[in-house]
Amino acid sequence: MNFSHPKFAVVGHPNKGKSSIVASLALDDSVQISDTPGTTLKKRSFPLVADGKILYELYDTPGFQRARHVLEWLKKHDVSADKKQEAVQSFLYAHQEDERFRDEIELLEPIMEGAGIIYVADGSKPYSQEYEAEMEILRWTGQPSMALINLIDQADYVQEWKRALEQYFKMVRVFNPMTATFKKHLQLLESMAQLKEEWTAPMKISIKYFEQYHEQMLCRTAETIAQLMAESLAHVERLTLKDKEAAATEEKKIEEMYKKTLRDLEYKSQKNIEKIWHHGHLQKEEKSLAFENMDLFSKQSASIFGLTQKELIVTGATGGAITGAGVDLLLAGHTLLLGGAIGAVIGGASAYFGFEKLAKINLLGQKLGQKYLQIGPMENQNFPFILLGRALYHAQTVASVSHARREKLKLETNQAFKNQWMDESKRKSLYRYHKKFQSEAKIDAEDIKTYEKMILEILKKCINV
Amino acid sequence: MNLRSYLLLDELLKKHPATHKENRAFGLEHPLEQNRPIRQLFLWMEKHISVLRQPCIGDLFSSYVYTVTLILCILVFIIGFFSGIGLLGYSGQEPVNIIYFLAMVVFVPLLTIALAFLSMLKAHKAQNLLVHISPAFWMEKIAERLSYAKRADMKKIKIDPLVGNWLVIERSQLLAWVFSWGLVAALLGAVITKDIAFAWSTTLKVSPEEFYDFVNMIAFAWRDFVPEAVPSLELIEQSRYFRLGEKVDARMIRHASMLGEWWKFLLCSALFYAIILRFGMFLLAKIGLRRALKKSILSQKSAVRLLHEMNEPLIASTADGAEDSLVKTTQGHLQEIKKLNTLYDGVLGWSYSKEEIAVLSDAIGIAASFMLSVGGNNSLANDAYAVSRSYGEMLLCIKAWEPPTMDFIDFVQALSQQADKIIVVPLGTPQEAYQPRSNAVQVWARKLALLQDDKVWLKI
Ligand SMILES: Nc1nc2c(ncn2[C@@H]2O[C@H](COP(=O)(O)OP(=O)(O)OP(=O)(O)O)[C@@H](O)[C@H]2O)c(=O)[nH]1
Ligand SMILES: [Mg+2]
Repeated sequence: MNFSHPKFAVVGHPNKGKSSIVASLALDDSVQISDTPGTTLKKRSFPLVADGKILYELYDTPGFQRARHVLEWLKKHDVSADKKQEAVQSFLYAHQEDERFRDEIELLEPIMEGAGIIYVADGSKPYSQEYEAEMEILRWTGQPSMALINLIDQADYVQEWKRALEQYFKMVRVFNPMTATFKKHLQLLESMAQLKEEWTAPMKISIKYFEQYHEQMLCRTAETIAQLMAESLAHVERLTLKDKEAAATEEKKIEEMYKKTLRDLEYKSQKNIEKIWHHGHLQKEEKSLAFENMDLFSKQSASIFGLTQKELIVTGATGGAITGAGVDLLLAGHTLLLGGAIGAVIGGASAYFGFEKLAKINLLGQKLGQKYLQIGPMENQNFPFILLGRALYHAQTVASVSHARREKLKLETNQAFKNQWMDESKRKSLYRYHKKFQSEAKIDAEDIKTYEKMILEILKKCINV
Repeated sequence: MNLRSYLLLDELLKKHPATHKENRAFGLEHPLEQNRPIRQLFLWMEKHISVLRQPCIGDLFSSYVYTVTLILCILVFIIGFFSGIGLLGYSGQEPVNIIYFLAMVVFVPLLTIALAFLSMLKAHKAQNLLVHISPAFWMEKIAERLSYAKRADMKKIKIDPLVGNWLVIERSQLLAWVFSWGLVAALLGAVITKDIAFAWSTTLKVSPEEFYDFVNMIAFAWRDFVPEAVPSLELIEQSRYFRLGEKVDARMIRHASMLGEWWKFLLCSALFYAIILRFGMFLLAKIGLRRALKKSILSQKSAVRLLHEMNEPLIASTADGAEDSLVKTTQGHLQEIKKLNTLYDGVLGWSYSKEEIAVLSDAIGIAASFMLSVGGNNSLANDAYAVSRSYGEMLLCIKAWEPPTMDFIDFVQALSQQADKIIVVPLGTPQEAYQPRSNAVQVWARKLALLQDDKVWLKI
């Protein structure tokens, strides 16, 4: 047998979420998962590799199809307890070419090569005796084993499952691949480490690496968001004019171009973050994962992610507003406080800070003959918070969504999200950096780094690590 | 790190010549370089430099900066030399006022050094006003005239403003230094080829003692080592010159040879202020430029990413290669019935116990001449017995929430040999009052359809 690294085979009845568990543990969103039993056709290895070295290996396998036949074959070769393993081995040997036992062979092979057994059952369905044959076979293999109770549906038969599973497995855990947090993943790895003494140490290392892996993803995310912020806030859009004067339509056009660029930047950044978290396959065709029907420049985003008037004033963000955008809105606050209307739609937003003016539009180049309109950098003081809020919200969702998920993700925008991470001091220091990004001078790399650190901290708070 | 290597590295980074894996392998090969990012980047560059298309932009650009600098240096030296000659122009009528020369070799350098210092402090600002008054600013103008600067990819390079500012500062220090050499050369040339009478003259009311103090102050750096290069009070008194009246003071003429002694002081002033100090500034600017180049490289996205790739463990947890996907067959056709009769020849419960079958047949209102438990943990022999007893119209009750296995399919096939009609009845859990969910029924329907058996029916 091969002791080079711990191996685990995830086995069980068809359609009980074996592939889902593997997908979520391996952060692999390409695993075939469907409600059709027999989706997984072949065993597949998911190694945790650090710098080319395999730390452990996880196997996804097809479910048992003819467990009773296998068990009867084994029983026919009645042997003493210490020979049972050999009986399973000879079953594999005798049926290599037998199409009927293709699935059983696929799933038993890694076990006979030394993999620990992770038996998956669905605790939302009643226990039934038809599972006994397969659990018995697994016992015959003599490999260390544990059971995971997955909850595919609402109903709860966990207790009866526990009682039954404890007859066969010394360790039984509940694990939901759809909702499991990163902490739960690590806890599961710790349980797996206990299956066999030799595995404890390598699994400890694996857990370390896994944590590092997670940290790497968090850092990359923070980098991406900081980059988005810096780039968007400093962005300047230009439009060359044909005539001497800028017509109203051209002003409108450049503003639209400006908005489009910012939207595209946001979209690209979201896609990058999805890739960082290995959700590249996730809704490839979808335009945007998170905010359908909620444009970056919509009142809704402003009211959910932006600051309220009061917060803006307290933060000192009104200073900038006076030169550029939104002073009219601020001063005439009571008339534009759409609190009633929007509050009703969105549910309790206290204020909405406008988007009428994002940035100054300037007519430039008069002397040189070639005239052009220029818009940017962003002057609106609320916009940075809206953009950041959306980015954080998107990142938080992507980071916590299970890799076992196959259906389309719909985001319920959470009114309270802002309050989860933002307090006055954070708001103020964020604001300071936003101001820097919004100025035309070159952005200092040091500033972006510090900002990135802040984002990382906030992300960790949001994602709960 | 110099401009050339900066540009080469910059160009190479944009090309992404290696995969994450290769970069990590490289990082592991050079474990000692982890905390020296610049050195690591350079080692990496050495390895991949061959990827760059020849001639590389880095080479082109640095050679054009070199050419421009050379042209300017020659120009500036000539200008320096002729300004020196001009300042020392001695007609034999009037002595040369050393104050002009001092201004050129002491005060102007001090002032421009101070300015350069200021611009160094402000070099991180994108718009640096001071940069524009420096002579090196005009390098760009000259560069534009050079033919190879017109190459398309040369135009594309965008120099980081921080680097640009430092480059301009460094080059202007160099040019100012060369200019000063021009002055010194003129001074030496003039001293060697002519006899010059130096004198000092000012409108301000300055006593020779005060001027002596002043001169001593200027000479602070060398007065202890080269005392002969500090004019004595006597010399100062004697070389005061008033332009009143056309003729030179008789006393001055008497000491004409002594007046020439000033040249040592002038030379030392020029060497110290315009050459040595300036050279110090040049070195400072060079260090500043180098730091700016480093900073600029390290703040680039691609460099940051490369360093991450090299120094952080490369971790992967996913499977490689795509998985075969199950082809969902919609082939086959299954006969369905909507309503059950009340009486059948037999009822079989797949994975139901005998008691459970009794309860459920009561619940759904069916009766049969015999009821048997099959599947589940029954033995295969037991199932074979159940098959052998079957005939006519059989009901086969199944747990809809469980997936159909091949074990079940085997059984249906065997049963179909014996019975005339098999009605598969998917049931929900007792808690659901035996009402199956439709998606679960669909799963069974698809599986049964594969059998393509006329005897098999599904209750929906
Ligand atoms: N809501 C919910 N659905 C789950 C969960 N786990 C699995 N599922 C669903 O259950 C179905 C089967 O999941 P799979 O992971 O494909 O099951 P499997 O055991 O690999 O199935 P086979 O490969 O066919 O043997 C899929 O539709 C999953 O989306 C869960 O924890 N919650
Ligand atoms: Mg599967």
